[in-house]
Amino acid sequence: MADPIHQFQITPLPGLDFGEVTLPVIGTVHLAFTNSHLAMTLAFVLVIAFLQVSTSRAQVVPGRLQAAGETMFGMIDNLAQSIIGHDGRKYFPFVFTLFMLVLMMNLLGMFLTFTATSQLAVTATFGVLTFALVVIIGIAKNGLGFFGLFWPTSAPLLLRPVVGLIEFFSFLLRPVTLALRLFGNMLGGHVALKIFAGFIVSLMGVALAGGVGLFALPVAALSLGMVIALTALEFLVAFLQAFVFAVLACIYLNDVVNLGHGH
Amino acid sequence: MAATPSAPPPVLPVEQAVEYAAETGHVPANAAAAAAEHDAGGLPQFEFQHWAGQAVYLLILFAILYVLVAKVFAPRLRRVIDERAETVSSAVATARSVQTEAAAQAEAAKADLEKARADARATAAAAKARVTAEIQARQAEEEAAVAARVGEAEKAIAATRDGAMVHAAAIASDTTRAIVERLTGKAPTAAEADAAVKGAA
Amino acid sequence: MEAEAAKFIGAGIATIGMVGSALAVGNIFGQFLAGALRNPAAAASQVGNLFVGAALAEALGILAFVLGILIWLG
Repeated sequence: MADPIHQFQITPLPGLDFGEVTLPVIGTVHLAFTNSHLAMTLAFVLVIAFLQVSTSRAQVVPGRLQAAGETMFGMIDNLAQSIIGHDGRKYFPFVFTLFMLVLMMNLLGMFLTFTATSQLAVTATFGVLTFALVVIIGIAKNGLGFFGLFWPTSAPLLLRPVVGLIEFFSFLLRPVTLALRLFGNMLGGHVALKIFAGFIVSLMGVALAGGVGLFALPVAALSLGMVIALTALEFLVAFLQAFVFAVLACIYLNDVVNLGHGH
Repeated sequence: MAATPSAPPPVLPVEQAVEYAAETGHVPANAAAAAAEHDAGGLPQFEFQHWAGQAVYLLILFAILYVLVAKVFAPRLRRVIDERAETVSSAVATARSVQTEAAAQAEAAKADLEKARADARATAAAAKARVTAEIQARQAEEEAAVAARVGEAEKAIAATRDGAMVHAAAIASDTTRAIVERLTGKAPTAAEADAAVKGAA
Repeated sequence: MEAEAAKFIGAGIATIGMVGSALAVGNIFGQFLAGALRNPAAAASQVGNLFVGAALAEALGILAFVLGILIWLG
């Protein structure tokens, strides 16, 4: 209970454990419908429900839910068009899907005992997916010109290989930082929440013993205040990280969509 | 820790941990259960046997949601937003045309007003001029009448004065004759007295 | 137990890396505020850049934090 790491434990739901298989290359795979899958499914269903309710009877004068949906839509739409430019509309569905899924998983983590985005597997999937899309679009649109991304024409000729090498590695690191940023924020936030919540429980236990232990009461109260403040901060972080993920996806897409004619 | 080298230490307050160790002589049951699954490291996130399942499942969900967003939700919202933009822009255009119309009408009304005011001003000026002329005419007439009366009166006064002067001369000569008679005992003739009076005057 | 203790010390030292990211994020927001007060009209258009910069700086701190956790539990 007091283990702040225990919340990240992946456990198959009862009756949905299909055992382990060993595949070549990938290694051992545990086939099961776990709590992580459940959280992802919930987020997925909630996103669809939200979008369905907010758009099913879309009117020119929006209702409350439609206004909320349109705010999200408009935010990502503006983002895509201001960063990617005219082609932004083509990539909008991808960025919007990414944003809504990450946002809903983050927010669900504030209400459930399990946060899907605190699983590195999940954030790495998002990161690699974005990265793969960027590479595929880059090569499909520019052919071999894609590698011009690593040939900085603005740098002196002598330095270009060095700068290009650095560019190349920082490009390769993109999915890693994308995944780690989201993962680390969610992990850190939830660990801190659990640690402070654990303080309250154990300090109250000390206080209940009476005597000198009563001095633990103000500290417990302090911990409670900390938990409340951290909860508010985590809601902000949940939104901010989804937004940052969307912004970075747009920036990375812009790199390859508008390659060679920077704007 | 030596018993479960790869397990995370159960994070318990010191008192409870000591109690645990004293009571059971081993690490807590949940930690032990977790330890069985902790193959790749301390964090549950690094149990790589769960990665493939999550990744594949997430990709499937993502693909479904992407298709839904691209084919259903985005077009719906975009249509509504475009429609709204159209409505708003047409309403703005209508409002703008109505406004220019109203401005034109206001301009016309203003011109009318200006004209009416000028007319009124002209009428007033004409009336004023006429009245002034009338007044001046009447004034002149009355002045003339007054002047005539004054002239008459002056004439009458002059006549009276002349008459009085004539009488005065006769009285003077009579008086002179009486005084001379009294002084000399001999009355001068009327002609002499008149001449003397005239000479004295 | 000495190795165990060294592990905890190492985890603590690893998380010191977060100091840099804290300075960076504070610097970014502070500079943004200074610029925004000087030219409030241009501030709204730069909020996106602000968060991207903050996220990039924060990522490195998070990296240190994750490393610390890994050392602690690994």
